[in-house]
Amino acid sequence: MTKWVWKGLQTGIKTTAYPGSPETAAGVSPGRPGWKDPVERKKIMSLMDLCPTGALRPTEERISMDYRRCIHCFRCRRFPAEPLDWEPGYEWGEIVSNQGNLGKTFSNSLHIRIVDAGACGACLSEIGHITSPYYNIHRLGFFITPTPRTADVLLVAGPGTDHMRLPLEKVFEAMPAPKRVVAVGTCALTGGIFGKSFATRAGVGEIVPVDVEVPGCPPPPLAIIHALLVTAGRKKPPDAPSYPGTEREEGRS
Amino acid sequence: MMETGILFVVVFLICGLGVILAAVLPDRKNPPALAFVASLATLTLLWASGRVLFSDHAIFNSLWRVTPLIRLSIEIDRVSSFFLFITGLVFFPVSIFSAGYLKKYLGSYSLKSFALFYHLLFASIVLILIAGDVFSFFIAWEAMSILSYLLVNYEHGHEENTRSGFLMLAMSEAGTLAALVAFLIMAKTSGGIDFGSLRSLSLGQSARWGVFLLSFLGFGVKAGLVPVNSWLPRAHPAAPGNVSALLSGVILNLGIYGIIRINADFLPLKDVGQGLTVLAIGTLSALIGILYATPENDMKRMLAHSSIENMGIITAGLGAGFVFISSGHSVLGGIAFIAAFYHMANHSLYKALLFLGAATVDSRVGGRDMDRMGGLIRKMPWTSLFYLIGALSIAALPPFNGFVSEWLTLQSFLQCSALTSKGVKIAFALCGAGLALTAGLAVTCFVKAFAMSFLGMARSEAAQNASDPPHSMTIPMGILGIYCFLLGILPTYVIPQIDHVVVPFVHESALDALVPPFFTVGEGNERFPKAFVSEFHDLGAQVGSDTLPGRGLVIMHRGSTRNPVIFAMSPSYTIIVLVLLLVSGIVVVRVLTRKRALARRAAWDGGVRRLAPTMTYTATGFSNPVRVIFNAVLRPVTIQDSKETIAQHFLNAIKKDKREIHLVDRLFIRPIIDGGRLLAAWLGRMHSGRVNTYAAYVLLALMIVLMIQMLA
Repeated sequence: MTKWVWKGLQTGIKTTAYPGSPETAAGVSPGRPGWKDPVERKKIMSLMDLCPTGALRPTEERISMDYRRCIHCFRCRRFPAEPLDWEPGYEWGEIVSNQGNLGKTFSNSLHIRIVDAGACGACLSEIGHITSPYYNIHRLGFFITPTPRTADVLLVAGPGTDHMRLPLEKVFEAMPAPKRVVAVGTCALTGGIFGKSFATRAGVGEIVPVDVEVPGCPPPPLAIIHALLVTAGRKKPPDAPSYPGTEREEGRS
Repeated sequence: MMETGILFVVVFLICGLGVILAAVLPDRKNPPALAFVASLATLTLLWASGRVLFSDHAIFNSLWRVTPLIRLSIEIDRVSSFFLFITGLVFFPVSIFSAGYLKKYLGSYSLKSFALFYHLLFASIVLILIAGDVFSFFIAWEAMSILSYLLVNYEHGHEENTRSGFLMLAMSEAGTLAALVAFLIMAKTSGGIDFGSLRSLSLGQSARWGVFLLSFLGFGVKAGLVPVNSWLPRAHPAAPGNVSALLSGVILNLGIYGIIRINADFLPLKDVGQGLTVLAIGTLSALIGILYATPENDMKRMLAHSSIENMGIITAGLGAGFVFISSGHSVLGGIAFIAAFYHMANHSLYKALLFLGAATVDSRVGGRDMDRMGGLIRKMPWTSLFYLIGALSIAALPPFNGFVSEWLTLQSFLQCSALTSKGVKIAFALCGAGLALTAGLAVTCFVKAFAMSFLGMARSEAAQNASDPPHSMTIPMGILGIYCFLLGILPTYVIPQIDHVVVPFVHESALDALVPPFFTVGEGNERFPKAFVSEFHDLGAQVGSDTLPGRGLVIMHRGSTRNPVIFAMSPSYTIIVLVLLLVSGIVVVRVLTRKRALARRAAWDGGVRRLAPTMTYTATGFSNPVRVIFNAVLRPVTIQDSKETIAQHFLNAIKKDKREIHLVDRLFIRPIIDGGRLLAAWLGRMHSGRVNTYAAYVLLALMIVLMIQMLA
């Protein structure tokens, strides 16, 4: 026991400094496609064929990147002779509804209810990490609750399977207002690789009104923390990307 | 004075009328007739015993001489009138209840015989309590034992009931025999069998112990004390609901009556050891009773185990009283006796209420298994309300009556600081801790009993379709509920009456010590110095003195100067404060939240498609922590029942069940039965079947007799 305390003191604080200062450790985020120079037409066509989910799409002379569909397969980065540039970073949470953030009352205390709406497990694994000693959301005043009755934020992962439709609706109904829904991962945003099928919806937005979106497949823990900070009004959502030849798709499909 | 005697004659005449009516009327008309005649008899009894109890004249009447030795007589003093009064209080609502309840037996069992036994049982119980000599006492006692057996065994169609009935009868007769021997030991020296001559009796130490043990064990059978309690949890589920109410509300008290009669009245216990024995047995009964009540799912068996617990608390209070009196602390003894008597009255009332509730549920739901109930509060609101009152009372929660008497019992235990012997003090501390644990478990037990049967979702179709019984059945429960409430908020009016009852045993009134005359306290009361009174005046102890009669509304004991242990409580003011707190709480919440929007949502069910009753808590699940914690005591035996096919290699079905063999059965009854069997087997070996051997036996016996004759 004494050894344990001593070891802890010796080791010091290892928890990430984010959001106080940016996290610089290697491998905290896979990054995502993002480029600085204009891309040629020929290259666009080859990249399009490579993209399995249609995240890269041509629009007239330019190429558009839909992060809500990107599954981080790295095909556009590894396979072409001239790979597409990827950008590092993890501040991906975006407010998509007109409800805005939760406001000052919740800025230092946010209670989160997690619902798995048919996720493959990757997103849940990343969500699991946010309470780990390294990311430790409790230091931010964020807590995970076992019941929707005390929850302010509904964190959903997965495309929204038919079987989870009713529980999801019930959870949302059971939460007291004001409440926000954070959709985590590509599946929760657009259906991801499951897409709209006989058993799943194209994202949980078809079941509950999503307020904040976290793209990524899976989004790294820091991206989820960023989204929660955005929900609580402690961080701003990222500015619209200014990469040449990139166009963000407006609205939700 | 004579009028009271005539009233008792009237009681018996009405019972006789009831017997005749029962025999004459057809089955269909018998229940209403029973309710009418029996309530008339009980009202007369209440009047008669009330006259004795409240106006303090004892009745002694010699009836007639049977033989030169046996002279039948009746004797009604304060104690018997107190028991008679409780009997009347319980019998009255139960009789009304019977009118509606008995209808379910119409066509299947003879209601004629039920009414007949019922009136005779009532008469025999009254006779026990007014008997003035050993002969009439035991005649009435035997009649009561047999009649209660007949009533318990009323549903004789089920084999289980018959077995329970036989066990009850056998144990009851064994107890009677022990008590009879105790009486005979006393009668041998006193030379007379009327109670008057038994009182003026002096016995040696060993004879006293003999009388004490025999009478305590013998009457303990009727009171359901450990280790002679086995019949009680078996008899209650077998008995019809209204008989159960009488069994727990009236007949168990008779055991206590017998113990008190002998050990406090005829041969007052002088030895501290005897008092401690009573105390220990009482505590043990209380603890074992509640330990088995808590995990029990059969509603009536649970109540039966709880009766054992309450009888244990009463006995423990009596034991404490005996110890205090024999060590010279009469006032403290008085307090303990008052606590015990108060608890007995309370137990009779709330247990009768709970048994009537259980009988109602049983007849409306068609089963006693609490696992199959649930949600009855919406189907049977009145029954639930009254059952809740009973459950709160028995769980000793204010403002109901159980709280007052359990509080008093525990307080009287704390007074052991006045005693000198260290060993006795330790015994008191242990027993006090045992009773405290009992009180805690009782809350668990009755939270479970109420919540699992009346709250939540209906766990069976029968529970889904239940409905409240007619008012003829709910009103009796209401009457008992009102008793429970009144005894809970007006103890300062009840305690003087009980004090009156126990003074003959204690020889000193504990009234001034327990219910100080705060309403009339003047300048010069030496018990309460002026400064002390003014302090209590500041606390509001004299609030209401202008409008209310009586001594005060505060129960208080100041202790001696050496042990200034002060305890004080006022249930009457507590209820006022409780109501005020509740109202002000509601007002504060309303004011604070008046601007907030209110959203009503269905209860959170975990998001399941449809909350099925099978997903909710059951009685078994709720009480399982107790079962696990006390596993070492309960020791459930796993019974595996499997069906096999094809050379025992494939299992078709496995049914696992857990059965608990009662601790007392395991440690006390089983060894006795095994010992008896062994002895019988050993003796059986002398039956060889040869004539010569038997001739030798005869010769041997003759020689032994002759030798004894020569020696003697």
